[in-house]
Amino acid sequence: MKNKYIFFGLLLLVILLPLVYEDDESRYEKWSKNLLCPVCQGETIFDSPSEYADDMRAVLDDQISKGLTDQEIYSYWVTRFGERIITNPQNNNIEIILIPMLVSIIFTIYFLQKVRR
Amino acid sequence: MISSIGIIISWACLFNLLILLITKNQFRIQLLVRLNLLINFLLFCILEIALFLNDFSISYVANYSATTTPPVYKFASLWGSLDGSILLWNLILAVYFLIYLKYYKKSEEVVDIKIYTTIIIFFTSYTIFSSSPFAGCIELSSIGCQSSSLLPFQDLVMSSQGRGPNPLLQNHPLMAIHPPILYLGYIGLVLPFVITTSYLYRKDTNRNWIKLAADSTFYPWLFLTAGITLGAAWSYEVLGWGGYWAWDPVENVSFIPWLLATAFLHSSKAQINESTLLNWNYFLGGLMFLSTIFGTFITRSGVLISVHAFSNGNIGIFLLSGLAIFTLFFIYTGSRNVQYFATSKKLDNFFGKSGFFIVNNILLFISALIIFIGTIYPIFYETFYSRQLTIGRTFFDILVGPILLLLLLLMSFSIKLSVANINLSSWFKKNIVTINAALIITITISYIYSLGYLGIVTIFGAVTLTLSGLINILPKVKTRRLSGSYWTGQVAHIGIAVFSIGLILNVTQSYSSEFITTDEGNINFAGNTYVIDKAYEVSREEKDIINLPITSGSKIKNASLNIFKNSSQQAISSPAIFRNIESDTYVTIKFIDNENYKLIFRKNYGILIMWLGLALTTTSVIPKVRKIEK
Repeated sequence: MKNKYIFFGLLLLVILLPLVYEDDESRYEKWSKNLLCPVCQGETIFDSPSEYADDMRAVLDDQISKGLTDQEIYSYWVTRFGERIITNPQNNNIEIILIPMLVSIIFTIYFLQKVRR
Repeated sequence: MISSIGIIISWACLFNLLILLITKNQFRIQLLVRLNLLINFLLFCILEIALFLNDFSISYVANYSATTTPPVYKFASLWGSLDGSILLWNLILAVYFLIYLKYYKKSEEVVDIKIYTTIIIFFTSYTIFSSSPFAGCIELSSIGCQSSSLLPFQDLVMSSQGRGPNPLLQNHPLMAIHPPILYLGYIGLVLPFVITTSYLYRKDTNRNWIKLAADSTFYPWLFLTAGITLGAAWSYEVLGWGGYWAWDPVENVSFIPWLLATAFLHSSKAQINESTLLNWNYFLGGLMFLSTIFGTFITRSGVLISVHAFSNGNIGIFLLSGLAIFTLFFIYTGSRNVQYFATSKKLDNFFGKSGFFIVNNILLFISALIIFIGTIYPIFYETFYSRQLTIGRTFFDILVGPILLLLLLLMSFSIKLSVANINLSSWFKKNIVTINAALIITITISYIYSLGYLGIVTIFGAVTLTLSGLINILPKVKTRRLSGSYWTGQVAHIGIAVFSIGLILNVTQSYSSEFITTDEGNINFAGNTYVIDKAYEVSREEKDIINLPITSGSKIKNASLNIFKNSSQQAISSPAIFRNIESDTYVTIKFIDNENYKLIFRKNYGILIMWLGLALTTTSVIPKVRKIEK
């Protein structure tokens, strides 16, 4: 019985723990992970050590310090490099997330129906 | 000369296989399978000899090797590009054919031999009729070979120097190990394909097929695990950005067979124990192999652009037709057994071992499905909208990440199950001490690293899994009552737990900064001082290396830039890595400008922990091997 109380106490502690510190990923970090470096074979500008990515990061840094909205930043890069440059296209094409989710749900329901008595 | 010999022996190989296809005599089958292995080994050696003799009259040697290529990369050049890698593919297929004959062939029927032989004929034909690694060069380009001939005894031209391998492929010796190991994994999945289809084609539905198929999947699965791990390690050591997994299409299609094989290893147990999931096991048993062919198609046909992709003319249509033929045969064989599949037992209770295997299979299969969709969606998008699209890591992080996390929790929950049905509350009572201990450790670790919920749940799953695994094994080690496969199962799961801890630390804790410094400058990074020495140049035949010695404490490591001759590609930056169990300090040179160096310092957490976990999973096989020897 005592173990049970310890368990619930610990559970509460674990749930409260992350509220002590805050999420510190900056907008800059998010965006640099989102932009593909066009000359570096599939790396984002966050990862890529190339000079080209360096220049792109400088532009991005400038945009964020000027306080451009996400939509403004998005259209700046897409008009220059095309949609290819965005590595999380699901923000603008929601079907990219919805299709696999739907397929997975249909599969799961079908599979469970088949194996269950 | 070597070109002609290679081409003629390739034909002999095909001829030998055609005889094998029609023969019914058991002794002759034994003989021809060995002969096939011998011929393929010979072909492998001939191309290696051509590479080492710098025989540039062979187009492949002229285009993917050079006189200045160091020996280890000359050796690896055989699988450095498409045509040669098919030679390695065929050799491994031949090796597995003999293994099949020795360990997995249990009847005198010859359907299985016909299926297996057809598969090898398919790939051998490619090297004869479409694109041969032995094709002689008949027209030179400025460097290397422009066009080549598939016929022997032509008048060949020979360049004085070859083009050499892609610089990225000659910058780390792992290149000599990673591809063959991965191939041993991929191609091994042909075994369960042949076993399931041949047994069910003959409508031989005794329990043998699932046992054999499950057994034969184990070693290829292990090679896949090791191969993918080595690939990640290679990427970390060579690409210079401190990453190991980029959700690149080629990585994705290697992960799909791994997920399917992992699912099959579990679902086959459900069938062996409780005769359930018959049709599902048939489906997975074949799909594993089909998915590797599909993966090869996606990455070798040029439909996708990626770091690993090398494409060549008609391999796409060739692989696609092969995929179609094998798939149709697979579906046909399945349709012959509808009645047998209908006898599959259904489950009433999911809180038992089989129930867990089912949930495990759903999660693994869905992951494979999502990765599949994410990989091919850009192709559809381009076809329908004529615009290019990139599906990057966020997509996979959002969709696959949570599923893998659920799997981890499922593992930590189910690893202690041994009975078919359990009751949730009694399970909870039994394990509450373990769970509480895991919670205390989780809170401590999470507090130290300021982890968010994602991190907390991961650490909790991993710690619970490790603790329950240890509690399972330790008492049995003392009393020496440990069966091989039990040990393997527990250790493999603990390895995954350790890996998860490394991964979550890496994802949440790593950071980097850039510094501009001169010779003999000091850099303070992450509480340590790094002393930069004067850079010096080393000139080798194939490349120039600029080394920058960096000292931290008593350790000196070089960060370097590799500038390959014969290559238009920009310099490749090799990192200096200061390793430590908690985190690596990973230093790369960004550029050198007069006396100024621009350096990137990265603090990469959990890397060694990740490798340790994956190594543990891979070595978990040892007790199982010992068991077989007995």
